[in-house]
Amino acid sequence: MTDAAVIGPVVLRLPPDPALSRVLRLAASGVAAMAGFTVDEIDDIKIAVSEVLLALIEHGGEGPIEVEFAIEDHAFIVRGSTPIESFDVEHPDLLLCRTVLTSVCTSHGIELIDQQAQIWAAVTHASIP
Amino acid sequence: MTDMGNYDSLTVENVPGGAIVVHGDIDVAGGPILEAALLRRENEGSVVIDLGDVSFIDSSGLRSLLGASRRARARGTTVVLRHVGAEVLRLLEITGTTSHFSIETSND
Repeated sequence: MTDAAVIGPVVLRLPPDPALSRVLRLAASGVAAMAGFTVDEIDDIKIAVSEVLLALIEHGGEGPIEVEFAIEDHAFIVRGSTPIESFDVEHPDLLLCRTVLTSVCTSHGIELIDQQAQIWAAVTHASIP
Repeated sequence: MTDMGNYDSLTVENVPGGAIVVHGDIDVAGGPILEAALLRRENEGSVVIDLGDVSFIDSSGLRSLLGASRRARARGTTVVLRHVGAEVLRLLEITGTTSHFSIETSND
């Protein structure tokens, strides 16, 4: 196990295919385990990664989705983006997603920047002093 | 037992006269499979969903369950969630949606 303060970024580029959600969670689990995150923290990371991909698939377009995992300052950070012309960051369907992210993450954001839907979430490694 | 749908990460079974039994992950891929199974079952009467073999759920899965709950309430009934494990229970609790269901945990 690597108890590292910095790992990655690990960047994945994937089509907006729901079947890849499980693959993405497995990859995120691996990165988090390398960094010494606990089982409970990894469960939170899996939910966060799933919510990020869900929002990008359901509210994005047909274009590719880029997802980045990184360990920075003892936090697991997932950043997802996809090209889109318009993106309603206040869409009611995103309310449940935001509620979940607020509960399992230290911080998160859902934004439209330069015609890119961008969603990020961070889960802090609590056992690091 | 009637197989109601398959997906790499989710399988849904309809036990005649019994529960809808869900196996696997209820995520953006599995949520629509569960939704379709629930809609078919609701035409037959009450809805009991066995989640004892669900290893993961996100808000897309929760939306399917909440949709079933709304429709059940409109019919004057309640959706029963059976063998609810820690992962599912946690998502219900953090979203404040436990009251939408009749819940039987894995320990019941």
